[in-house]
Amino acid sequence: MAHPIQTEKLSKTYQDGRVEVTAVLPADITLMEGEVVGLFGPSGSGKTTLLSILGCILRPTAGMLSIYGNDVSALAETELPAVRKKYISFIFQGFNLFPALTGFENVLLGLRMKGMTGKGAELRAAAILNEVGLRERMHFLPRDLSGGQRQRVAVARALAPDSPIILADEPTGNLDHANGRKVMELLKELACVQKRCVVVATHDNRIEDIFDRTIHMEDGKICGIKRSSS
Amino acid sequence: MFYIALRILLYDKVRSLITLLGVIFAVGLIFNQLGTFLGLMETSSVIIDHTPGDMWITSKNSKNFDFSQPFPEHLYNKVLSEPNVASAEKLIVAWALIKQKEGGTEQIEIVGFDPQRGVGGPWEMKTGNAGQLNNGNFAIVDESALKRLGNLQVGDYRDVMWRRLQIVGISRGVKSFTTAPIVFTSYKLAQNLVAYIGPENTVFVIAKLKPGAGLAATKEKLRQNLVGVDVYTRDEFSYKTRRYWAVETGVGFSFLLTIVISFLVGMLIVGQTIYNSTMEHIKEFGTLKAIGASNFEIYKIIFSQAVINALLGYVVSLVITMITVRLYDAIGMVLVVRWWVNLAVLALTLVMCSTAAFVSIRRIKKIDPAILFRG
Repeated sequence: MAHPIQTEKLSKTYQDGRVEVTAVLPADITLMEGEVVGLFGPSGSGKTTLLSILGCILRPTAGMLSIYGNDVSALAETELPAVRKKYISFIFQGFNLFPALTGFENVLLGLRMKGMTGKGAELRAAAILNEVGLRERMHFLPRDLSGGQRQRVAVARALAPDSPIILADEPTGNLDHANGRKVMELLKELACVQKRCVVVATHDNRIEDIFDRTIHMEDGKICGIKRSSS
Repeated sequence: MFYIALRILLYDKVRSLITLLGVIFAVGLIFNQLGTFLGLMETSSVIIDHTPGDMWITSKNSKNFDFSQPFPEHLYNKVLSEPNVASAEKLIVAWALIKQKEGGTEQIEIVGFDPQRGVGGPWEMKTGNAGQLNNGNFAIVDESALKRLGNLQVGDYRDVMWRRLQIVGISRGVKSFTTAPIVFTSYKLAQNLVAYIGPENTVFVIAKLKPGAGLAATKEKLRQNLVGVDVYTRDEFSYKTRRYWAVETGVGFSFLLTIVISFLVGMLIVGQTIYNSTMEHIKEFGTLKAIGASNFEIYKIIFSQAVINALLGYVVSLVITMITVRLYDAIGMVLVVRWWVNLAVLALTLVMCSTAAFVSIRRIKKIDPAILFRG
């Protein structure tokens, strides 16, 4: 059976004026269903670039990226949105919720953009918000929610469309430790139950124990892959 | 998407209100300018359009209704002799002076017609009737001219071209583009009053054709048989008059310029606010793109915002314009509001707001979802 994400000698270089900058050195990664993987490293280590490539937002300069067995590294820029629509959801540090829409409406909008509409979408949005513990506050505007609750809405928006791959960039970056941990535990629980593949880029070592596997990066290079002892 | 766009607009009430006011201002100005222009155009040819008759015979190279020159009256008989012509009437339109009650003179436009036939005369009377112009030094003035001529009453006397005339009626709806008051007299009296017309000349001959007579063919025959004059159908002469005032005086261009400026101002206001709103939500739109939303899906939100602004602004402007029509009427001006004008302005408003949204659309198109990873 094909893996959610598989890379072979994947690399990315930028042209900064006349200088060629290597953001990610050749990397071989295989990610499984139901697995929550942490991408660790200091700022500038290349973890966000790697996450962008895995999320089909940036195109690799060389190497192969396969999503469920489909080689997407050679696809044109215009073909990538379709791949993202089918397979990938995102969670960002800044939540990126529409301030004018309630939590429920933000999740619903995410579903609509994935092509799910009507009563089915509404039921799905309500159910997933219930699952992330926002049943009572799903009709609140983001400004009336705490940081942790906002991130839960963002998690619900990512999980609602049944995308098999969830990519999160510093999802706990704007949260205090307790709330950050809660969000990560929730994400892990839902990922395991629903067999999603979750990749989280972070430099918050305090949540390292939550991950099934951690990938450590430095200067664009994968310098270590650790499997959780638990 | 309409609902989401509405929610985004309602969220920032102050900005939305400013945008709405901008649209109301721009569309209101377009309504006003278009309505005033059409009002002036209707006024310029109001007598032609209300005079029953199929053909207008004028002096050679007449510019318009108001500035036509006299031609020999005997051509009237030639017109009547044309087999397709059922009847013909003579009409004088000439410039004259009226003495004001409190001293000084005012320029007026005299319309001399046959009171018994009524062709070319007033079509609606407030007091009196056109038949009273017969056999004497009598005149009818329009109510729109009463402010200029003093508060004239039926029975009052005024000197027109140094001859004392008695006012026997007040007409309604006869406004002049030139703003000169229109005074109706009998045809014979007009010939006598205005020296440059004289007793053997007329300014127009208006012919009514027999039922079934071809308009183009009759016009061509008249044109061949009559020397030194021009022949127009009623619609042609009406159009020629309107065109003269609209194009040759620059009035039309001036109105057009204001409409274009209003359109651009409206577009800028809407464009700027939608663009600012888009920029404020750029990360949210970027997130939608990141999860696979097509540009088209996001465009729908942006365009919906533009359309909501357009429709709301249009409706409010239309209501204000409808109220303004009465105000215009009270000050003696005409503001034309017709269903086709309303439709045209609605289309213009939608184009204005949708075009304004294009700047934001371009921005959305260029969103690189990678910005989402930059904190």
